[in-house]
Amino acid sequence: MLAAAWLGAAALLWRSVVPDDLAPPDLDVRSQFDPSVLAEAERYDRFLRLEFVLSEVALVLVLAAYARWGTRLMRESAAGPIGTGMVLGMLGLAIAWLVQVPFDLLTLWWERRHDLAETGYLEQVFGNWFALGAEFLFICFALLVVMALARRLGRWWWVPAAPVFVGLAALFVFLGPYLIPDSHPLEDPELRAASQTFAREQGLDPIPVRVENVHELTSAPNAEATGLGPSRRVFLWDTLLDGRFSNAQVEVVLAHELGHHSRHHLPKAIGWYALLALPGTWLISVAVRRRGGMGEPEAVPLSLLVLVVLQLVALPFENVVTRHVEAEADWVALETTGDPAAAKALFRGFTSTALSEPSPPLWSYLLLETHPTVEQRIEMAEAWAARPR
Amino acid sequence: MDDHPVRLVVEDDLHRSRLTVFLRLLLAIPHLFILLLYSVFAFVVAVVGWIVAIFTGRLPNGIHGALVGYLRYATRVDAYVGLAANPWPPISGDRSQWMTYPIDLELPEATKQRRLTVLVRFFLAIPALILSGFLGPGQRDSNAAFTGVGLASVATVLGWFAALVRGRMPRGLRDLIVFSIGFGAQTWAYVLLVTERYPDARPDSHVDALPLEPHPVRIELGGELRRSRLTVFFRLLLALPHLVWLTLWALLVTLAAIVAWLATLVTGRNPVALQRFLGAYVRYQTHVYAFLFLVGGPFPGFDGRPGAYPVELTIDRSARQHRLVTLFRLLLGIPAILLSLGFFGVLFLVGVYGWIVGLLLGRMPVGLAELGAAALRYLAQTNAYLLILTDRYPYSSPALATEQPESEPEPSEPVH
Repeated sequence: MLAAAWLGAAALLWRSVVPDDLAPPDLDVRSQFDPSVLAEAERYDRFLRLEFVLSEVALVLVLAAYARWGTRLMRESAAGPIGTGMVLGMLGLAIAWLVQVPFDLLTLWWERRHDLAETGYLEQVFGNWFALGAEFLFICFALLVVMALARRLGRWWWVPAAPVFVGLAALFVFLGPYLIPDSHPLEDPELRAASQTFAREQGLDPIPVRVENVHELTSAPNAEATGLGPSRRVFLWDTLLDGRFSNAQVEVVLAHELGHHSRHHLPKAIGWYALLALPGTWLISVAVRRRGGMGEPEAVPLSLLVLVVLQLVALPFENVVTRHVEAEADWVALETTGDPAAAKALFRGFTSTALSEPSPPLWSYLLLETHPTVEQRIEMAEAWAARPR
Repeated sequence: MDDHPVRLVVEDDLHRSRLTVFLRLLLAIPHLFILLLYSVFAFVVAVVGWIVAIFTGRLPNGIHGALVGYLRYATRVDAYVGLAANPWPPISGDRSQWMTYPIDLELPEATKQRRLTVLVRFFLAIPALILSGFLGPGQRDSNAAFTGVGLASVATVLGWFAALVRGRMPRGLRDLIVFSIGFGAQTWAYVLLVTERYPDARPDSHVDALPLEPHPVRIELGGELRRSRLTVFFRLLLALPHLVWLTLWALLVTLAAIVAWLATLVTGRNPVALQRFLGAYVRYQTHVYAFLFLVGGPFPGFDGRPGAYPVELTIDRSARQHRLVTLFRLLLGIPAILLSLGFFGVLFLVGVYGWIVGLLLGRMPVGLAELGAAALRYLAQTNAYLLILTDRYPYSSPALATEQPESEPEPSEPVH
């Protein structure tokens, strides 16, 4: 019955305005791109794929060692069981961060080599200390909730814990726009007028569009939709507005991001998170039983390993969902702008400016691609153009 | 640990002439001028001595003697200006007159030193010089003028007011100033190659033990000095949940303190429940700061429970408090708050040094740990005073040990 309910909820969340009978043409990628750009994008992505694999393997191995021997660090605590669990959680997070540092630096080096990043190496390591501090606080709070529930409810702690974490996720999504530093309102009058028109056409109240200043960190273009209800925003990176993309192409991005809001993708994302949180917390509960359950600090290192492994295992499924959602946003953008040429030029621009490989290998597509590939996005634009209206 | 070869000998009786206290800085001008010239001379001599010591491994006797004389004179001037001593220092090289001065400096004879440490002596001394500056009586620039405000400078200013009123220097303030002078003397003796021994930051090695009658708020530094490098590196981040909890708790404490103040004004005693609640907060704050600044090793609990942490703060039970003192508690606490700021600066530096040494050696030096404990105790005593836990004023001496009662003489055997 639970499985049926789960599947029913998933089916509801899966609904999309992209026609089921859409038949995208089979695109010859090589004809769409300059061979040298294609080669560079393939080379660029190949390195990052390898780096991802190595970093994840290193992370899992280190967390496995921490799960095995990490309880020795309990002597570093004079707090009670929950406080000790917190410090073990924070130290696990610290170890995970340390393991990732060389890979982050390697990625940065590769990005700088291809003129996609401007950040300094020291800034890369220590510039996000504030964000790391926030993660430390979050893991403390999460363990406080989990361990307090586990000490009270025993092995059933996951039942109330999952909704608590879903609530927290909703809170983070709501607060998301206010946590983005260094942004200013969109000033281009043509783009502002376009965003208001698009919002009206998609049945939305006017949604503020802001420009995030990232040009000192990267040259890659990007945008995002964030917030819930009154906090809904669209953020365009200033690297999208530096002249490399025409206003028509930026309008496609605007319509795409507004499409996330008009199709309720952020509340749906929380829904998907809830569908994964319930079985995820149950699995963690089962896995740590031999360590005395989540009420005992000894279980914390093992629970971190299980959490990371579950996240890795769930990655292909999550990417199926996000690609589905992004495809819907692309479709809404095409319906709103009616400009497939601009959309195709935009997607081709992602390859030349962000070195996004148009057609990556299958395993990389499953594990790493949160968006449809550039090839798929161009194919959708052509399919939209070919449909009778 | 054996005694440091550079030691202050203190025979001051705390008596201060109100007239000379009032005019202290003016009266010190001739000495400051002489010290300026003496400093230039000492600098030149030190450079020559450094060059010779790089090759021979020891200072020539003549240079050693000159630098010893300089250090002794500078210590007396510091003690006079800092109100740690009463009489005007003699401007004389007569050694017998030095020996009668209430603040004297014992210095070792010239000995062989490792040439490598001689070569990089100044750089090795930088941490001690910075700590010496924080402790006061203030930074001395090349003109031998005081340019920075250290902990002892604040103590001197407070002592100036106290001495004018009472005709005596409060012992706690005097001991604090003596500690800074003693550490400063050891630091400069190290820099000037008079000794190879690094300055000792342990307060008990510089000042006398605390008086017998204990303060109602006392600290005990326990636990090991080993520090996990992982927890040292991430110390600030690990302390974040405690800092958040401390902030939230402080909101409640503010309200509770107001209630405690009113209750003590009326009844003359802090209610037991409030004493316990506010005491737990002060204890918890001490645990958190001890963890944050590496004086304590393990991650503390969140409830400030007694006996739960190796840096243990003992707070006596609620006792009768003077209503008039309670009425003006905040006003009377201003000098302690000022001194607390200085102690906090020292604690911060202890944390920075402890972090560096902890990462390199995996342990906290005992001198820094004890200095940190002394700072924590003063902060706790100040908080306890302001939060109506006690009407005993914070005691500013950094000593951790308490005087031992004199043992009664053995009864003599009757002679048959």
